[in-house]
Amino acid sequence: MDNLRGGRRMTTARLFLAVLLRQTALTLRLNFRTPLAVTYGYLLPVVFLFAFAGIFRTGRPPLLAEIGQLLTITILGSAALGLPTALVAERERGVWRRYRLLPVSPAALVGGALVARFVIVAGAVALQLALAHVVFGTPWPENPAVFAAAFFGTTFAFLGIGLLIAALADGVPAVQALGQCVFLPMILLGGVGVPLAVLPGWAQRLAGFMPGRYAVTALQHGFETVRGPIGLGFALAAIAVVGAAVTAIGLLLFRWDNSFRAGRREYFGTAVALVAWVGVGLCAAGTGRLQPTLPPGHEWREITDAQIAAITYENLPGDDELVTRLAPPLARPLTSARLAAIDERLPAWVAAEANNSGEVIRHLVGLATIADLAQDPQEGEIARLVFDYLRATLPEPQLRRGLAWIVLRPDDGTMPTSAPALGFRREIDENALRNRAPLYAQKFLGRLTGQLRER
Amino acid sequence: MSASSPPLACIRGLVKRYGATPAVAGIDLAVHAGEIVGLLGQNGAGKTTVFECLLGLRTADAGEILLGGIPVRQHPRAALRSVGAQLQPSALQDKITPREALSFHLAVHGIRAGADELLARFDLVEKADARFETLSTGQRQRLALALALAHRPALLVLDEPTTGLDPQTRRALHEILRAHRASGGGVFLSTHDLDEAERLCDRVAILHRGRLLAIDSPSALIARAGEATRIAFRTARLLPPEALAALAASRGAAREGGDSVASGSYELRTTNPTNALAMLSRMVEAEANSLTQLQLTPPSLEDAFVALTGEQWTTSAEAAA
Repeated sequence: MDNLRGGRRMTTARLFLAVLLRQTALTLRLNFRTPLAVTYGYLLPVVFLFAFAGIFRTGRPPLLAEIGQLLTITILGSAALGLPTALVAERERGVWRRYRLLPVSPAALVGGALVARFVIVAGAVALQLALAHVVFGTPWPENPAVFAAAFFGTTFAFLGIGLLIAALADGVPAVQALGQCVFLPMILLGGVGVPLAVLPGWAQRLAGFMPGRYAVTALQHGFETVRGPIGLGFALAAIAVVGAAVTAIGLLLFRWDNSFRAGRREYFGTAVALVAWVGVGLCAAGTGRLQPTLPPGHEWREITDAQIAAITYENLPGDDELVTRLAPPLARPLTSARLAAIDERLPAWVAAEANNSGEVIRHLVGLATIADLAQDPQEGEIARLVFDYLRATLPEPQLRRGLAWIVLRPDDGTMPTSAPALGFRREIDENALRNRAPLYAQKFLGRLTGQLRER
Repeated sequence: MSASSPPLACIRGLVKRYGATPAVAGIDLAVHAGEIVGLLGQNGAGKTTVFECLLGLRTADAGEILLGGIPVRQHPRAALRSVGAQLQPSALQDKITPREALSFHLAVHGIRAGADELLARFDLVEKADARFETLSTGQRQRLALALALAHRPALLVLDEPTTGLDPQTRRALHEILRAHRASGGGVFLSTHDLDEAERLCDRVAILHRGRLLAIDSPSALIARAGEATRIAFRTARLLPPEALAALAASRGAAREGGDSVASGSYELRTTNPTNALAMLSRMVEAEANSLTQLQLTPPSLEDAFVALTGEQWTTSAEAAA
């Protein structure tokens, strides 16, 4: 008996690819034949879109500020809940046990299921974006390459979570229970459903230990420049680390047969995967990236002492380093004629904003930042001059709030991009200024609160 | 298949434990080309574990398993290439059609065509594009068998392939298995139907509490068990006790069942039915009595099973109840 007499056969590599594509196509076809899967995969995201549009109807452009959250919910639901539900339902029927008997690499079969789910997620996201654009006028991603990277990374990470849930759950009801354990905390406390800015400080810090926060940030970067302590690079890296950990362990623990129950091996694997989450959170906290976030339009005068106390000072550049130099306290009277001239003209320079101390503080910190970005030979001394001026002219509680406002809301208020009256004629990029200014604000604030000491 | 070819399946010293409980306690078994081997055992005897270890779904604690001469543990994919297995006929997605299932299965084996031929061969043409959830039990079993045979494997491994089938479908399935055997293939199946095992299998392995008690042809197993032919009869009037005692004491005959006397029904077991029948006939004549019913049942695999295990055979339905 010759089991090869079936005739034309393919090489191993071509067979792998053929099986991967076949499995992808078959999974997609079966998904679209299941009304519940279509409802969950496509109708629910549309409902979410309209719900978000109703809740955040005042945003301009519409939904732009919330688009990262909206897409993260869609990806999380389809990848981290939809995937394990489908996998475990098939496993309960014995489908994966039968697949195990096929003489083909398991990677082709599992890979096909993952690629199919990726396509389903991509379809739901595309549908949401198209509807948001057509119905509400939400702009398309400003930076498609960044958006694509964020989408791939987020979907990869959440598919990994889905694989891990499938490995842990003994049945579909268990998938729902475990899935909600991931889904609900991320929605409510992770900055995915409830905006981060309205959460209390402890919840904002907790969100730093959940991948949802980084997914929202990364996706939002695709649509607009997001300023804050968590930049695009860190958000993408966080998603990649969490994604790699959960996917690797999810694949390692993949269960083909429902008669095998989750045991110590599965729980240990899950603990290892969670170490990656905690590691990312600790890394963000250790590098000062878990600063509290204020809601848009938050009045700087209402910033509380607790919010100021929650600001951290880890990983600030040193006062002698290349960026945000800060000279030691200056001897008075000033010996440098240039510094003395600047010092003399400062009151007039901020006079236009005199009725709003918050704006005065932002402008003065902006001036120090202009000198820094312009690589002025006296950048450190100018920063010190600004700090001395702020302390001399403003009551300390007010100054603390104004500096915290720059740290917590770098995009708020106005930011000067040059100061010709003070001799800084060169225009500096506003984005760069808004990214750098919070560092000076932190250095000043840290000295006021005693968290940082003078050299 | 040449005489020197390795067995299609070879199990040596297989041991599998679940915790401290031994599910399979050291069995040796081989399935050769051109034979159908049946695995008989009650629920919990270890049949499923044997199949799962054979197919690499579970790792044995000890022993060696070869498929077509290839060790399953070391080279599972290469070993499984020569095998078609059906362990659970419902192991398909609800929304898949028989055509899709067969096409996918063939594609996974690197075969580009053949689904239509299989659909025709297994009488599934009318249901080719129907969803699996709408198929009857028989159609599902036929599809499962079509999948197992699709890539023309040398060995078929089937776990209770005829359970729940109507007699017509069951006969058709037997023909398919016989045809596979005739073409040089081998079949290793488990069944809860002892008649089926006796009629279909060339050799039967009796598994009891994880141990292989015997493996031989059904007739050899029955002969080895030394079981007797059953003679059941009724008489017009009750037989006197001394006549029954004489009958019981006669050559090779033994009386069975005391209460049968009251009802006028009798049952004898004998290893020499010719003499027993002659004696019964003479006795009834001498008593001016007459036989109103007579049934002769030769010894069966069930008798062999009972003799070997010391336990009554339970059908799958009885076990489920």
